[in-house]
Amino acid sequence: MPIHSLPPDLLLPFAGIEVSTLPQQLVDGLLLGFIYALIALGYTMVYGVLKLINFAHGEVFMIGAYCALFTSWALGYTPGNALASGQWWMLLVMLVASMVGCGLLGVTIERFAYRPLRNQPRIASLITAIGLSLLLQYGGQIFLPLNQNIDSKINPAAGGYTVSLGGGSAVDTEALKATVKTKQAAFEDFLTRTKADRFNLNDEGKRLRNDAQEAERELKTAADRGKGTTLVVPYGKLIAMVATIFLMVGLTYLVMYTKRGRAMRAVSHDFDAASLMGISVNSIITFTFLIGSVMAGAGAMMVATFYAGTKIDPYFGMVLGVKAFVAAVLGGIGNIPGAVLGGLLMGITEGIVSWLGFTAYKDAVAFIVLIGVLLLRPGGLLGSAKVEKV
Amino acid sequence: MIKNLGSAWKPAIAAVALAFAFGCSPTETKTPEKTPEGSTPATTTAATTRPEPTGEGVTVTGDVIKVGVVGSITGDQKPWGDDSIEGAKMAAEEFNAAGGVNGKKVELVIGDSASKAEQAKTATEKLLSEGVVGIVGEVASGNTIQIAKAAFGKAVPVVAIGATRTDLTDEGTHVVRVCYTDAFQGPVMATFAFEDLGKRKVGIITDNKAPYSQGLSKSFGEKFKALGGEIVGEVFYETGQTDFTGPINEIKGKNPDVLFLSGYFPEVGPMAQAIRAAGIGKDVPLLGGDGWDSPQLLVSGGDAILGSYMCNHYNNKETRPEVTEFLTKWKAKHNGKEPGTTMAALGYDAAMLMFDGLKRAKNLNSKDLIASLNDTEGFKGVSGVVNLKGKGGNPDKQALVVEIAPAAQGFQVFKKAFSPSDIK
Repeated sequence: MPIHSLPPDLLLPFAGIEVSTLPQQLVDGLLLGFIYALIALGYTMVYGVLKLINFAHGEVFMIGAYCALFTSWALGYTPGNALASGQWWMLLVMLVASMVGCGLLGVTIERFAYRPLRNQPRIASLITAIGLSLLLQYGGQIFLPLNQNIDSKINPAAGGYTVSLGGGSAVDTEALKATVKTKQAAFEDFLTRTKADRFNLNDEGKRLRNDAQEAERELKTAADRGKGTTLVVPYGKLIAMVATIFLMVGLTYLVMYTKRGRAMRAVSHDFDAASLMGISVNSIITFTFLIGSVMAGAGAMMVATFYAGTKIDPYFGMVLGVKAFVAAVLGGIGNIPGAVLGGLLMGITEGIVSWLGFTAYKDAVAFIVLIGVLLLRPGGLLGSAKVEKV
Repeated sequence: MIKNLGSAWKPAIAAVALAFAFGCSPTETKTPEKTPEGSTPATTTAATTRPEPTGEGVTVTGDVIKVGVVGSITGDQKPWGDDSIEGAKMAAEEFNAAGGVNGKKVELVIGDSASKAEQAKTATEKLLSEGVVGIVGEVASGNTIQIAKAAFGKAVPVVAIGATRTDLTDEGTHVVRVCYTDAFQGPVMATFAFEDLGKRKVGIITDNKAPYSQGLSKSFGEKFKALGGEIVGEVFYETGQTDFTGPINEIKGKNPDVLFLSGYFPEVGPMAQAIRAAGIGKDVPLLGGDGWDSPQLLVSGGDAILGSYMCNHYNNKETRPEVTEFLTKWKAKHNGKEPGTTMAALGYDAAMLMFDGLKRAKNLNSKDLIASLNDTEGFKGVSGVVNLKGKGGNPDKQALVVEIAPAAQGFQVFKKAFSPSDIK
């Protein structure tokens, strides 16, 4: 669906910066931001009720990716097994598998690692969380297959949604297309005529080949000018975004409009008072871990499946986990809308940084933004800074 | 009571930030080594100023000659570690069966670099403490630099298997290799792109954490420019990164007609898929170096990687007797399977070169071994003839450009061979 509203000149390079890539970088950043948000929810919810940073959350996410991988294998998409495009139900099975797998793991971790330490100093739980994180990472090195990826063919929606922006100035490419065709034909004709090896051409062959290449380049440049810029959004990433929004709406409903949600909010407000009011604190905490881990599982499945070729190894959760944690802090840890806002902000910031040509520094910039925000609003964007009484 | 809930996470953030800054790469860390600006380009591998190790060296006592092998038994580069160590073991068996060095047998002591530079160093130090007279290894340049540094003090020679980074042999006269260098490999791919594919606008994608990738991108870019091509842009990622959207979008905006991916296969495969998903069509071929060499590339790269070109050391389809003999022996030991990567042959060659050096050494001493290795002439390896006399540790071997094809067609299909004299 071409949108011919922007004048083409708007998207020409300005002051050495390629304006035309901005829309793409922003959209990709936003899409990634949704994933960050999904993982950040797990950090923020657990912090909300327990005041504990669950460092093992990134590893739960990693296990989710493995669940999706194993399910894809069970569905026949093993490495080297060339199958046709997958079905929609397969994606659903994978999604459910990793959500269930992560949910179980999250609840197990809570039950056996954190609950026994519930009444100990908080630092003990924090150290346990770090220990668990390392255990899962390095245990995974031994027990899990390394360097895997989900066959992107399992995703039935190959390709992407292409939007042309700022095009419209009619550049006639027909003549150029014709030239390319003739020149390519001349080269191919030369190849068949002389039976020459494509990689050991004589001068005539080289000249013909270079002419054809040159014509192709001219055509591409001209076509690009005419189109303005194209925005490609792979269908998979779109699905991931829609699913994420869907999950977030569900979570909001759960927390704001159900009895359980009210109990969760009560526990996060005041642990002891909630239990005095007859709320089973233990089951609410387990439930919180379950929901947070299920979100991570969904996120993991979507990253592993829709970001084509994503490498799955036991360190899979590390980088995304840290980014999501930063997103949670940025938005105000313990605050659910804050986690979403933080995630989106992180994604968009990375997009802008990449657009400015500093891809190598985008992680650093994410931390700089965090420091900047914390200096101005120590509680995070939506969090409230508490006065500390010592 | 100390109520400090609001800031309980602050020290934690610091901890995480630290972990993020130092610990998040599972594979390779940056080494301080950088190719000096304006270093002598390309193929002239004349001996520069390679420092001579001053240690007294290790002398063989007893009936067994201990030779160390360092490889990535674990980690990302496991396919290379497994193949190269297996190749070295085969060489040792054969050499011992043929009588060893005047009846003295060689014994391999194996260390795991875990695909990490710092582990490569630790493994080397352990081997040295066990009294090895020479070390065979490694494949990745970042790891090999650390091996070379660790072995310098003891004056123990290092025969690098597949480490192509050009300045590696500047570590000292104790380092030699059986593979070509990036100063050759980069220009080979640049020449191939310019002359044989007719491409003029290259986009370069570099792994900023791998010294190998940085060096290769540089030598490729310099040659491509010298030939008259244009570098439309260079973007970076890091070993272990999984999302390449940012750099790919950036390079896409520059409209290249060919892309050069100088990194290692674990990232190149997924990146190829992301490149195609971002809408860069197959009329923009992907090129790379020997860092691509693993059948895993086909799994992680899917259809996106097919039709790309990489530079490699030799090809299983070659008909030289050394190649066919090696393959027959390998297949007999591995259920009729061919080695997955060329590092099997290079590991075999590196070990054989070391043993050959031992035979030619005046005395069974590591310092004499260094001398005899640097005097190697006409050593017929599986991957080609190795001449080291007066070459500064870098043999001038030929390089093959191969096309990536489905596994059924043999993964790598030979396209064109380049010898050092082809690159001016």
